[in-house]
Amino acid sequence: MNNSNITLTLPAERLFARVARQTASSVADLVIGDDRHEPAGRDFSHAFELAVSEAFTNSVTHARESATPQVVKLTFFFEQRQLVVSVHDANDPFTIETPVPDIESYPENGFGLLIIRKVMDHVTYRREGNYNIISMSKTL
Amino acid sequence: MTITETSKIGIAILSLYGTLDALSAPELRNNRSIIDPEKTVVIDLQQVDFIDSSGIGAIVSASRQKRQPSGGIVLACMNDRVRKVFEITNAQKLFHIFDDTTAAVDFASSRQSASA
Amino acid sequence: MKTILAFRESEYAWVHEKFPCVHPLLLPLCNKPFIEFLIDFAILAGSSAVRILCDGGLGEVERYCEDGSRWGIDLSYASIHPDDSIHAMLGKNRKFCGEERVMIVSGFSFIRYDKRYDYKSFVSSMPPGEWSTCPGGRITLTGVPTKAVPDWLIADLSLMPLDSMTSYYQASMETLKTGESRYVLPGYGDEPECAFGRNVVISKSVEIRKPVSIGNNVQLLGNAIIGPSAIIGSNVIIDRESSVESSIVFDNTYIGEHLEIIGRIASGNRLNDPKSGASIAMEDPHLLSGIKKNRHLRSLPRKIVHACVALVIIAAFFIPFIILWPLLKLGGHWKSSPASFLAERTDETMPLAKVEVDASGAAAAIAVALSLDRYFRLFRVVTGQLALIGSTPLLAGESRPDAPAYVPAYLPGVFSYAEAEEWAATGGDATIVERFHLAHSNPLTDIGLVIKAFINRFQEKSTI
Repeated sequence: MNNSNITLTLPAERLFARVARQTASSVADLVIGDDRHEPAGRDFSHAFELAVSEAFTNSVTHARESATPQVVKLTFFFEQRQLVVSVHDANDPFTIETPVPDIESYPENGFGLLIIRKVMDHVTYRREGNYNIISMSKTL
Repeated sequence: MTITETSKIGIAILSLYGTLDALSAPELRNNRSIIDPEKTVVIDLQQVDFIDSSGIGAIVSASRQKRQPSGGIVLACMNDRVRKVFEITNAQKLFHIFDDTTAAVDFASSRQSASA
Repeated sequence: MKTILAFRESEYAWVHEKFPCVHPLLLPLCNKPFIEFLIDFAILAGSSAVRILCDGGLGEVERYCEDGSRWGIDLSYASIHPDDSIHAMLGKNRKFCGEERVMIVSGFSFIRYDKRYDYKSFVSSMPPGEWSTCPGGRITLTGVPTKAVPDWLIADLSLMPLDSMTSYYQASMETLKTGESRYVLPGYGDEPECAFGRNVVISKSVEIRKPVSIGNNVQLLGNAIIGPSAIIGSNVIIDRESSVESSIVFDNTYIGEHLEIIGRIASGNRLNDPKSGASIAMEDPHLLSGIKKNRHLRSLPRKIVHACVALVIIAAFFIPFIILWPLLKLGGHWKSSPASFLAERTDETMPLAKVEVDASGAAAAIAVALSLDRYFRLFRVVTGQLALIGSTPLLAGESRPDAPAYVPAYLPGVFSYAEAEEWAATGGDATIVERFHLAHSNPLTDIGLVIKAFINRFQEKSTI
């Protein structure tokens, strides 16, 4: 899928996190090809799936109450051995530079962005108009 | 996700099947044995095919509710996918983790009788 | 038989402090990661499966060792608590251990073994209990022996604690000296005590004094003296007139010109004295030399030459660009998004468009092959904001170890030196190439490198 875009727009509801992550897993398997059965390929696919699931869940958790149903848009792109996914939502701005939760205090939240930062090679956040865009990439 | 609950020498064993994410985590959080602060629980994670931060949060939260956070929840049979997520979040440091449910139950039982 | 290798973070905390770029279990001893020595030993002792236990993260170790298939064993990973006893570890890994004899190697210590001995027979005939011990490390056997001890059987073995940089240095040097006779070590070489990795480029005037161990992708430049007792890692450049003796140079390190490294451990931008434990950090994360602030990088002649060549390229590609760009833009194949990149000056950023061209059609493929996605950036060369060729522009706000603006040799360019050298455009090895060229290139060699980068991109894109 070199240089092809795949765009997926989903309702901002928890249920659809599974659609988002299964799509992410399929896209990752597609670019990995035959290596998807190798340990490195499996790890790549799992990491990508996990990051997309976390980003989507994050968007859903912070979705605004509004009259019109909120959506989360995912765009997948593969170029130069880099698989990139952008997650767009219309929530309030936030920062991805959150502190690492102190595990000794048995935290229940705050792991999502930590996971994203750890499993992906590059993570950027930007605000475009009323939209948050998290862009995450991982190199094969 | 499906939760199957059995009991052995007074220890509750929760076997989880499927996906432990934001959608299914409340089911685990609200489980009766999990809520009971006196009950030591072994969670068997062998059949969990996907876990994310919400799932980790639910297990950490379960541990927090116990009278003895470090021993009230004992984990067993983590597969590689689950183990990796625990390791990324460092949550493995909070639990005793066994590769065999019987060994986990033996350990949980000894902890329970020691604290009784 | 099965083996458990157990470690606690507290045992190797000093490695995190001294060599933060490497996981302690992957700490290289004579260009071979520490954990591989233990895996080799487990195999010599007759293990079919090895489990690595740790109370800290094992992600990097797992990415390196994977499932053990490369050694023909079953390798798995699990967590322990810092205060777990051997008995507790066996309980937590009951399914793994099964009914078999288990060898538990615990602690961050180096096993001095000799591959010529028959450890398999020895282990299967030893009574259960402690086999060998040292401060902070021990080897224990469980289960009943399966053989009687033959009278003739001896198996030399001892443990050496790896509890400081000093002991690490000693273990490395000892391994280099005993070499292939005791351990399986990486590298090739016709002569004993001389092991070379792949793609080692040695200038004619370089002097090699045995014993040495040299990793992959290494450049040894004119009149360098390597050894005796030099361990050079992978992706290393030793520049002209420098010498490395009784020292260890870690992966991804560039030793600048006219430097003498004697009895030291060089890692990235740190020079460590293994005897005293002292370390000095240099300014640049990769360039181990007292570099000036690269005045010539900012020099006017370079900027003028780059601007002139950029103007020539702008003119030469104006027609294909003016035809293809609107076509791709209208067809939705040209996507441009604004992003903020680190500028040449410390703490400054500059906006640059990130262009993504969907090369599914012929027009798009031509545009990509001609590097038209970089066309707009050429104007930044004319205004002096970008070099024509330099470092890969780094996105601002990303957390990456080599990024921040304290890097003195960072010159964002339209093309990168890594692209000219056909090295992966990202990662530590590409960074080394970029640093090297930033220190050595001049305006004229830059023109040649721009052409090389352009050709490499053309070949890469036209073969997708």
